[in-house]
Amino acid sequence: MTLPSAGETAAQADPPEEIKAIPVRHPGRWLAAVVVLVLFAMLVHTLVTNPRFEWNVVWSYFLSRRVLDGLAITILLTVVCMVIGIVLGVILAVMRLSANPLLSGSSWVYIWFFRGTPVLVQLLVWFNLAFLYPKISLGVPFGPSWLTANANNLITPIAAAILGLGLNEGAYMSEIVRAGILSVEHGQGEAAQALGMARGLTMRRIILPQAMRVIIPPTGNETISMLKTSSLASVITVTELLYAVQLIYSVNFKTIPLLIVASIWYLIVTSVLTVGQYYVERYYARGAARELPLTPRQRVWRYLTTFHAPPPGPVLPPSAGSGR
Amino acid sequence: MAADATYAPNEFIGSDGHTVVGMDADLAKALGQVMGLKVNMVNATFDTIIPGIVSGKYDLGMSSFTDTKARQQTVDFVTYFVAGTSFYVKSSGGPNITSLSDLCGHKVAVEKGTTQQSDVQAQASKCKSAGKADISLQIFNDQNAVNLALSSGRADVAMADSPVADYQVKKSGGTFKLSGQPYGTAPYGIAMPKNNGMAKPVLAAMKALIADGRYQKILDKWGIQAGAITKPVVNGATS
Repeated sequence: MTLPSAGETAAQADPPEEIKAIPVRHPGRWLAAVVVLVLFAMLVHTLVTNPRFEWNVVWSYFLSRRVLDGLAITILLTVVCMVIGIVLGVILAVMRLSANPLLSGSSWVYIWFFRGTPVLVQLLVWFNLAFLYPKISLGVPFGPSWLTANANNLITPIAAAILGLGLNEGAYMSEIVRAGILSVEHGQGEAAQALGMARGLTMRRIILPQAMRVIIPPTGNETISMLKTSSLASVITVTELLYAVQLIYSVNFKTIPLLIVASIWYLIVTSVLTVGQYYVERYYARGAARELPLTPRQRVWRYLTTFHAPPPGPVLPPSAGSGR
Repeated sequence: MAADATYAPNEFIGSDGHTVVGMDADLAKALGQVMGLKVNMVNATFDTIIPGIVSGKYDLGMSSFTDTKARQQTVDFVTYFVAGTSFYVKSSGGPNITSLSDLCGHKVAVEKGTTQQSDVQAQASKCKSAGKADISLQIFNDQNAVNLALSSGRADVAMADSPVADYQVKKSGGTFKLSGQPYGTAPYGIAMPKNNGMAKPVLAAMKALIADGRYQKILDKWGIQAGAITKPVVNGATS
């Protein structure tokens, strides 16, 4: 390792200059940051100074009994309808992929019908079912019946909402689950078959667990969407959050402030659900990568508690006379 | 001019599928002719009309609004009609309701934001304090949903302004019938923003319509001449 002779004497007589290394400049980024900050400041300014927001009204209703009761019903509807939807979705998806033409056909018809009609119409029909069938009875088809009930008593408004939203969600979830099942590579099923596992066992223990990684993100999406879709139950007089807020403003005419109250609550619950979805996804991603990436919380903690040694300084030139 | 076009015969959507027709629509057009203005009737949900007038979205609201002291705090009214509230029930098997106090223990359907809603809510607390059975109040977005609830049996009784209840019963071809007598006769008012100068000219135009007979002709056309008034006023709420 010899330096070219032309520079040898120069190197010994004249220590090399420090390399002036400066980080790459990003002028565009700074300009964009300034623009975004100005817009953000304008937004905050208008939110604070525009009296028509009536933030005092918003705050006074934010934790009121009626709003919180409505929120409880909304969360109840979301949870129950998503559970029904997921269970129904898995059943329908497995039926769709079955070899039995009757099973796959009837599943197809169900999905076609419940995806093909508007949710609002479905809700209205379940709510007004007594118009078509005043009495619902349990018995032999075309024969005698044992238990009879008045349709309006059997199907309360909230039952109608759960039926309408849950059955509709089942149809949409079945497509998500089917996508997840299709995403598991075919070799897995073949290997299970080669080992002599029954189809049901394969589906339950091999395919579905692996399909979960693909199923979770769209399902999280559907849950967050269901939180908002539950507001449709307001047309069948279920006192969920939006209807509760509508009843208040139909009397005091403070429409926008009360809608802001409802929106803030929806945002809060959506944020909680989003964080939840992140952790569920991490659980199902175990085994897919050697080490799972750090969660935001872990990253913050690591940043706050790790202290690095200062980076090494510039390489000093060899002092005159020491030679090689 | 905004109206909730689910309230026949006062305001409803005509056979072409988008024009608002009815007593309120005809009166609005006639007022426009007197004042030399073109009136554009738009359809809106009942409980959004008064907030819409306050925010400037609509200039006027003519949707069978009962002129009440509570509403007068938000908008001004020019009265133009009187109506009470009537009860209507299913013809076969419907209960006999003669007054608000008979509602205890029944399932009642009303439209959101109406005086009927506040009347029944007040009655519900009265029923509770008197120890009688609760009223199951169902509040719907529009009058059509109220009628559907009554015909499917979700509600035993429906309530609406008398001309509307009369019309619903007539159109139902025997499914519904009126029950008892109308109560609480109160004036209808055209709603407009508070103190913006529209009240005087609208009042003058209304007086002109009554004076030259066009007002009576419109009411006769819809069969609701029983609610005619002779002296319109600004902010004539009685309760």
